[in-house]
Amino acid sequence: MSNRKKYWANKALRTIITAIGVTLIAFLILHLTPGDPARIMLGPYASEENIEAVRAKYNLDKPLHIQYLAWMSNLLKGDLGTSIRYNRSVNTLIKNRIGPTLILTLSGLVISVVLGVVMGILAALKRNSWLDYLTTVQAIFWISIPSFWLGILFLYIFGLKLRWVPIAGMVSFVSVILPALSLGLRQEAWFARPMRAEMLEVLNQEYIRAAKAKGLTYYVVVTKHALRNALIPIITMLALRLPWIIGGSVVVEVVFSWGGLGTLLVNSVKARDYPVVQAILLLISIAVVLANLFADVIYTWVDPRIRMEG
Amino acid sequence: MSEINTNVNEEINVENIKKELSQLKNKKTSQLSLVWRRFKSNKLALVGFIFVTMIIFVAIFAPVLTPYEPFATNPSNRLMAPSRAHWLGTDAMGRDVLTRLFYGARIALQIGVLIILFEGLIGILMGVISGFFGGIIDSIVMRLVDILRSFPVIILAMAIAGIMGQGLYNVVIALGIVGWTTYARMVRSKILSIKEADYIEAGYSIGESTFSIITRYIIPNAIPTAIVMISIMMPTALIASATLSFLGLGVQPPTPSWGSMVSAGRDYLLQAPWISTSAGFFIMFTVLGFNFIGDGLRDALDPTTKH
Repeated sequence: MSNRKKYWANKALRTIITAIGVTLIAFLILHLTPGDPARIMLGPYASEENIEAVRAKYNLDKPLHIQYLAWMSNLLKGDLGTSIRYNRSVNTLIKNRIGPTLILTLSGLVISVVLGVVMGILAALKRNSWLDYLTTVQAIFWISIPSFWLGILFLYIFGLKLRWVPIAGMVSFVSVILPALSLGLRQEAWFARPMRAEMLEVLNQEYIRAAKAKGLTYYVVVTKHALRNALIPIITMLALRLPWIIGGSVVVEVVFSWGGLGTLLVNSVKARDYPVVQAILLLISIAVVLANLFADVIYTWVDPRIRMEG
Repeated sequence: MSEINTNVNEEINVENIKKELSQLKNKKTSQLSLVWRRFKSNKLALVGFIFVTMIIFVAIFAPVLTPYEPFATNPSNRLMAPSRAHWLGTDAMGRDVLTRLFYGARIALQIGVLIILFEGLIGILMGVISGFFGGIIDSIVMRLVDILRSFPVIILAMAIAGIMGQGLYNVVIALGIVGWTTYARMVRSKILSIKEADYIEAGYSIGESTFSIITRYIIPNAIPTAIVMISIMMPTALIASATLSFLGLGVQPPTPSWGSMVSAGRDYLLQAPWISTSAGFFIMFTVLGFNFIGDGLRDALDPTTKH
């Protein structure tokens, strides 16, 4: 087998192992509780018949591995189970809620990447200037502010005091601005600093000096040669930060009463509606696993110098 | 070093190698003082140090610093604006906000330290095992790390805390279950580079056991990495535990945790904005302090990263 093939075979195998592991964790989480899951899900006032029914429905009376296989076979058929709280299919619940979450997560992601990349580039080009210093300090500043508090500050200033934006829910296009900023600003730091370091590194390379020596203008050297190469590691950073952005969006959704998967998840955790909790955990983690694989594919595609090793 | 190299005629015996190893060890301590000097000259790190010291001071001396009780409710005093008697006002139950913030520092630091200890111990142990033994053990540990890191920390912690029930120790466990993976990865890669070092080979050549190699050479050399890790992980632990409290899945009221105070103040944002804003400010202040320290430490231990 060629190196390239071996690399991808190895990668694919790892991705599959990780995906299976993720399903195991989402499944086992229900069994972390010391008590009877059926009783805990239904609460202290449930009748014996109801408990028995739930136990039978989720195979809770059978051995663990049988439960897992039954759960998995339903998953593979595309059936995520039934919510105990809403008594509706989890598929429908998620389908209704996934849109707002995607809008919020993607807007937050765009804000963080664009701001981070621009600040990182400027800091590197104007190295040791006040702008460079500001980039470093603001990066530490944003990562020190919990997104739930930033969200509340925004709500207070722009919603309650200035009345520029609606204070909750998804009313219009402007509704997404504050949640997306609460989410994105905190993540921006994670792109600004690596971008700065990468840009400085690239600007020191031989080929940049060669391009300058060739008589190319500063603008062309920066945009055509330096920027293109410095942006490559940002792809990996994106995949690395994805779990944090999704995690952040859950919290931001709660602050802004955003009707997405995040609020559904928090309410389901509190109501001990485990089929919903398991399904959302699974969905998010599989998305992260795929994003990582995707980032690897793009990375090797844009940068042929990558060595093909396990 | 050069002294030893020039004495080629001298018989190379175990004593000599031991002497050389202890010399290397001495070099290490002088390196530490160099690191400390670099850290001290970093202004931001010094600011961070002051911030964190202030929070620790407030946490220890909370009962002396304030005349109020963190749990004493007073319905006639509810939602009072900041005044001379109540510097940061009172909350919906008439409790003094500043008092609760001071006592909240105890909770925050306690949880932070417990999380660091819990995840640090597991992570460093797993990292050492994985990096040192390699092979199938390494593969298993690293796949477990991949699997756990596919979940956003806060989401998995929410689910775990929700199932195990709220409370300080469950918060620590819920966050530590994912958190150890960061240490394991860093320590593993550090171990892999240490393993190649000459002094490890020297240790083996004088007949030291694997156990003694790990405890006497590998772990001490991985300690700087571990210190940087802790300074990076402390802010994460503080924000994550505050987030769980904010969502109502962490430390439960009436325990004065900063996260739940932000959440409680949210309902009175218009009448009493001081509750949420001041509680959040305390979180930011503390996290900022640790981040400044972490940044300074990183630069001090590895000056090559700063261009």
